[in-house]
Amino acid sequence: MMHASEILKEVMKVGFDEAVVSAHNYNSIYLKIANYKVDSIVEKRGTMGSLYVTKGKRIAFTNIEKLDIQSVRASIENIKRALGNTKPKEDYFGIASGKFKYRSKSIYDSKIADTGPDKAASLANDLISKVDASNLAGTLYLTEWKNELATSNGVDASAKSTAARLSMRIFRGDFSIQDTVASKRLSGIDIRQILKSAEFMEYINAKSKIKAGTYDIIYSRPSAGALLSMANTMACMGNVESGSFFTNKLGSYVADKDLSLYDDGATPEGVASSPFDDEGYPTQKTKFIENGKLVKYLHNYSTAKKYNTKSTGNAGLVNPEPNMLVVEHKRKQSIDALISSIDRGILVTNIWYTRFSNYLTGDFSTMPRDLAIYIEKGSPVFAIKQMGVGSGIGIRISDNMIRMMKNITRVGNDFAQSTSWETIGTYYFTPSVLAEKVKISIA
Amino acid sequence: MNEIEEIAAYAISLGLKGSFDYVEAYGEENSGTSYAIEQGRPGGASVSKSSGIRIRLIRKGSLYTYSTNTLTKESIRKAFRFRHFNGNFTSLSEEKVEKADYKVKERIKIEDSYKRFFSDLSDIDNLLGSTGVKLRGVYGGIGRARSYFANSEGTEIRSNIPYISAYISLIVSEKDKSRQRMVQVGFTGGYELFKVDKINSRLVEEINAMRKVLSDGSDLSSYELSKIKNIVVSPEIVGIAAHESIGHPSEADRVFGREAAQAGTSYISSNNFGMKIGSEAVTIIDDPTIKNSSGFFLYDDEGVKARPKVLVEKGMQNELLLNREYAYVLGKKSNASARSDSYSNEPIIRMSNTYLKKGDSNLEEMISEARNGIYIKSFTEWNIDDTRSFARYQGNEAYLIKNGKLDKPVRNYKLDISTFDFWDSIELVGNEFELFPGDCGKGEPMQGVPVTMGGASALLRLR
Repeated sequence: MMHASEILKEVMKVGFDEAVVSAHNYNSIYLKIANYKVDSIVEKRGTMGSLYVTKGKRIAFTNIEKLDIQSVRASIENIKRALGNTKPKEDYFGIASGKFKYRSKSIYDSKIADTGPDKAASLANDLISKVDASNLAGTLYLTEWKNELATSNGVDASAKSTAARLSMRIFRGDFSIQDTVASKRLSGIDIRQILKSAEFMEYINAKSKIKAGTYDIIYSRPSAGALLSMANTMACMGNVESGSFFTNKLGSYVADKDLSLYDDGATPEGVASSPFDDEGYPTQKTKFIENGKLVKYLHNYSTAKKYNTKSTGNAGLVNPEPNMLVVEHKRKQSIDALISSIDRGILVTNIWYTRFSNYLTGDFSTMPRDLAIYIEKGSPVFAIKQMGVGSGIGIRISDNMIRMMKNITRVGNDFAQSTSWETIGTYYFTPSVLAEKVKISIA
Repeated sequence: MNEIEEIAAYAISLGLKGSFDYVEAYGEENSGTSYAIEQGRPGGASVSKSSGIRIRLIRKGSLYTYSTNTLTKESIRKAFRFRHFNGNFTSLSEEKVEKADYKVKERIKIEDSYKRFFSDLSDIDNLLGSTGVKLRGVYGGIGRARSYFANSEGTEIRSNIPYISAYISLIVSEKDKSRQRMVQVGFTGGYELFKVDKINSRLVEEINAMRKVLSDGSDLSSYELSKIKNIVVSPEIVGIAAHESIGHPSEADRVFGREAAQAGTSYISSNNFGMKIGSEAVTIIDDPTIKNSSGFFLYDDEGVKARPKVLVEKGMQNELLLNREYAYVLGKKSNASARSDSYSNEPIIRMSNTYLKKGDSNLEEMISEARNGIYIKSFTEWNIDDTRSFARYQGNEAYLIKNGKLDKPVRNYKLDISTFDFWDSIELVGNEFELFPGDCGKGEPMQGVPVTMGGASALLRLR
């Protein structure tokens, strides 16, 4: 099996201006839980490479099927043909140069790497046994991977890492709740976090319907992350150029003055973190919204050069890509205190189907899923009947990203790494957040 | 495919020698090219060629799937270390042993069209530029998927499917207002199906209409919106509604809870099979056998022969989308709804081409019958709840109907409606038939498969 640096040598014999070679292998297990039992297991193993080249500002990509010389030569022939089929990208300014020092380290947990399908099933059955519910569904995901990166501009880097994720939807009576824990270590899969979220179902016994109107919304951690992770996605320069709610807003206030947002690819505990981005530039933690003001867009080397700034470690070889979102707010309170501060509101525990009618304006709607609790005069009053399992109806949130971020006046003190099925593969460090005056429609 | 077929035969022989109840092997060879052009600038060409194999095993009722792109006997043997787990018991329905080798015909070979495809996408981008659309992206992919399926029961299927897809995103602005639109085209077949002139004509028509909506459109008050009871919906709106509110809840893995933590549940349950969903005018079909459609296949990824599935017949729930696992649960035969987006993922229950069966009214008649109401031609934002009971279809292009004729455009029409109100209020169904391609996401890991949705237009009378 060839290393990325060996493949690079072969590729550069052809006379490309630049090349980026990555060699990647992974072992993953997806264990499905359905109807309170382990349902099935999928084990995936792969070894593959990718090749990116430029010549006279023409850009081409290809994969390398096997990391051997025959595959490499076939990929070189393919990419030569691909270059001939396209035209120069005139606003392309190259890949990052240099031997970089990577301060961020990858976390590799051999306990994850050593967990095969049989052991994963035992682990899942142990986790299932800890849940008291009328029904239970979910996924246990375990993965280990190794990535090598070599570029014609001096990068020769490698990283290996592991990750684990447990997602559970817990049904009790008329309601359900879903939460996910994720970590680079097996020990980070702490089911207590999910069980604590399930305690919301014990908050209140009453159930009733709400009417359409304007409410203050507490978005629990996974739903807050799913919505706000649109922010670092839309701060990436390719999206800014294509039409994002941050286009032409640099230097403007786009969020509450106590809210700051970061894009972070470097925090070792971050499941989506890596010491380097796709062109080998060191990842970093970039504050792009500072005290409510949009202070920075996210760049790779080429877009940074185009706009006379520095890369933020967000390559994407053509367009920058987001790393992980970190949400920081000066006004933190316990969830109980947040609830106490609301005159008329809703605690939303999960969302899905977030759809934008216009990315340029930031107008969107999203569907709460699972338990939602109506709050009045500082107290939880009832579980919203429209959100009951099999109620046959639902509620919908309609809002605008900028308006919502300006109305996030407080956050919870439950900051943690999170994800949701809505944004699977995207991770964020966020607390629950309180967004004021949100429109709700019902069937 | 020889290498894959040899490895597949080896895997099945290992399974038959071991104590496995069922073994199947599914191998794939994919090759293709994709391009992106954003704001008039080429983003690069991507060429791919990949292959791999998936082995699915059942041992003592435990279902296990193993995938790899390392096509060696040593790699495959790793799958057979699997014992079984304490969990759900999986059995498969008995199905006919099939032998088939099918290929989609093409007049212009995909492999001869890579360069022309970039040129055609550039033409589309140039057209957008010439109409003053600055914020735009043109994306396209063409290629060929060849697959080989074999199982321990003797079924063997080979397929060879060329495909083309393109996706155009654009934002049309007038002064301080803007509207966003995504247009998708897709086919299975030769390059002769990709007709740039037709796509460009459609784009010009849509851009002009969006400008008209921005300049002449009105924002109706909540009161005015609530008074709209007669709604004519185009095949595009009917299609997304058929897909989201009929197709998805008809997937048996949702009905029986397997997708509860991912793609969700369903308003259909074993307690209400045969329930009334819509009016007598409503018959909804999922048919993978439609030639040249994005959702085309003749055998599913469990080797079962495909056929049209009548999900709703004359308003009544009729048939679930089944794979072999849930066909067994229901004591039925599979209706060939198992699909995977890659050799590396498990086959799960999916739609193909889902549509409202056409009726005998034409659009003018329906607008005339509506008298006063609204016509929704295309949508932007849409979403639906966990059980698929409450949806939104937000109008992109929508027009008031006054005295039986189309009137001024409306900017802010959102149809927030329950599934049952939507389908039960259908009084007339159009006599046209149109399918719109899309990518449907489901499962964990997320699998996106090409589908189409559409059918005929319809007149809804809300009560």
